Amino acid sequence: MSGIIKLEELTKTYRSFNRREGVWGSVKDLLHRDYFDVKAVDGISLDVPEGELLGYIGPNGAGKSTSIKMLTGILKPSSGSMQVNGYHPFRDRKAYTRQIGVVFGQRTQLWWDIAVIESFRLLSKIYDVRQVDFDARLKNLSEILELEALLRLPVRKLSLGQRMRCDLAASLLHNPKLLFLDEPTIGLDAVAKDSIRDFLRAINRDFGTTIILTTHDLKEIEELCQRIVVLDKGKIIYDGSLVKVKAMPGLKRSIVIDFAGKAPLEELSTLFQGRAQFSLQSERRLVGEFAPEQLPAAEVVRTVLDRHEVADLTITEPSIEQVIVKLYRDGANGSRVAGNG
Amino acid sequence: MRTLSIYGSYFNQFLMSRLAYKWDFFASLIANIVVTLSGLLFIVLLIDGEAVPSLQGWTREEVLFIYGYSMISLALFNTLSPNLYRFGDKYVIEGQFDRVLLRPLNTLCQVLFESFNLESVGSLFVGIWLIFYTGASLGMEFGALDYLWLLVSGISGGIILTSVFVLLASLSFHFQDRLGIGAPVYNLINFGRYPLPIFNNVVQFVLKWVVPFAFVAFFPATHFFSRPGFEFFCYFTPGMAAICLLVAALAWTYGVSKYTSTGS
Repeated sequence: MSGIIKLEELTKTYRSFNRREGVWGSVKDLLHRDYFDVKAVDGISLDVPEGELLGYIGPNGAGKSTSIKMLTGILKPSSGSMQVNGYHPFRDRKAYTRQIGVVFGQRTQLWWDIAVIESFRLLSKIYDVRQVDFDARLKNLSEILELEALLRLPVRKLSLGQRMRCDLAASLLHNPKLLFLDEPTIGLDAVAKDSIRDFLRAINRDFGTTIILTTHDLKEIEELCQRIVVLDKGKIIYDGSLVKVKAMPGLKRSIVIDFAGKAPLEELSTLFQGRAQFSLQSERRLVGEFAPEQLPAAEVVRTVLDRHEVADLTITEPSIEQVIVKLYRDGANGSRVAGNG
Repeated sequence: MRTLSIYGSYFNQFLMSRLAYKWDFFASLIANIVVTLSGLLFIVLLIDGEAVPSLQGWTREEVLFIYGYSMISLALFNTLSPNLYRFGDKYVIEGQFDRVLLRPLNTLCQVLFESFNLESVGSLFVGIWLIFYTGASLGMEFGALDYLWLLVSGISGGIILTSVFVLLASLSFHFQDRLGIGAPVYNLINFGRYPLPIFNNVVQFVLKWVVPFAFVAFFPATHFFSRPGFEFFCYFTPGMAAICLLVAALAWTYGVSKYTSTGS
């Protein structure tokens, strides 16, 4: 099956120049500039099937925003080919924008000074939404996102979380096949984040909307996305399932053991001989970490329980943060982590 | 038709948010009329009929007629143009152009219709009054074709002015530095509001072929004078408007393909 998004060797090059220092430097810049090219996105290939909820992550400057902006038709690619739902986003911009919904957390799509409902009406006019469909969708969206009390307010009077809920609703009024979200929960509190996450899961499940999500909040990715694409320095360094990447060699599990008596630090350190590292956290509590491929969790648990009376024991999988940090390190060494298949 | 109705809604939205601050609007409207009238006062005082009886043979009434003629195009342009001046800052550097590109509409029309200088209609009324007032004292009689020409040339003049500033605005796509080129060009508009022959040849050439502001008011206004020598350029205003619009549209489209958005 062919995907709804297909990118091949997509590249975006910016022309930039070295700015000289000081006033005199700026004057010299006017006359002569040392230009150089920056590859913000460097040969990305991607295939996304319809209905997927894809997490798109990477550090600042990795090329996330640039590639999202190419995907949404804002930027013209320098080279490579792309097709989204049968359209070329930049070339077929006007027809293509009808197929997609876009939410940029940093700025609103709504008119600042007029009531939210007026913005919605204008958008539905722009997107040619029939009145019956508009009414039905608005009813549905305002129920799930609890917009009823906000509709009469001008956008400038909304809190960040309220505004984001309105922006999400606005992006879905024309029932797009794809939804692009760039940092949709930036600056929101935990409750607001939760409700937006639930909402995204629901529309992905109920309407089969393909969702591309970029965020710095890795917990969000972990809760929402089955597949992640990790970018670094304009290249994709990982593309695959979240489960598999966590099983990548070199990642460590952590363990916390509460003993009934004094914690046997030296004994355990000798027993596992470098395959696990332990340290004392309190008199009765030991914390440690170990790599699953060197030491199975079962062995650790059995060994400890056989020898000591244990009050409590917890093993934690590597956190997504650790996974990402490791990916960047490996990526820096030039190897692309295989995650597909 | 549907597109027109969408831009009508854009205008309504603007009107609603503008009238949210209605005293500010009325103050601006009055300020606009005062500024317009003070421009007139300058001509009235300059060509006082005694020390300066005329400008190289162009009488006070003729000069005022051309000046009034220019106000129609200028009012149209001033109403539409506020976003063109701040285009570089507001849309390109701040990245607001992203939002424009995300909608299934023409990008230039969106930028023009997101903000208006409604108070400029003040000068439209002053201009129309001035044309008929000075026209009457010059002994002009207006027939149906004259009204039509006034309308066509007025709109064409507005298109010429707007196109020049669209071209300047589209430079912001290439040079993210703030170019202070808008203000000097805006001042050039004023040269186009006086009889062209009073200027030296360089200025005349510039106003005809570089920034064609002579086609905004002076040339089309000669239709109403019985002065020989302008027959050729008199009716070229709509053609010049079409050329300007084409050049501006090409420059704009090319600029959009070079848009780099902001870092985040």
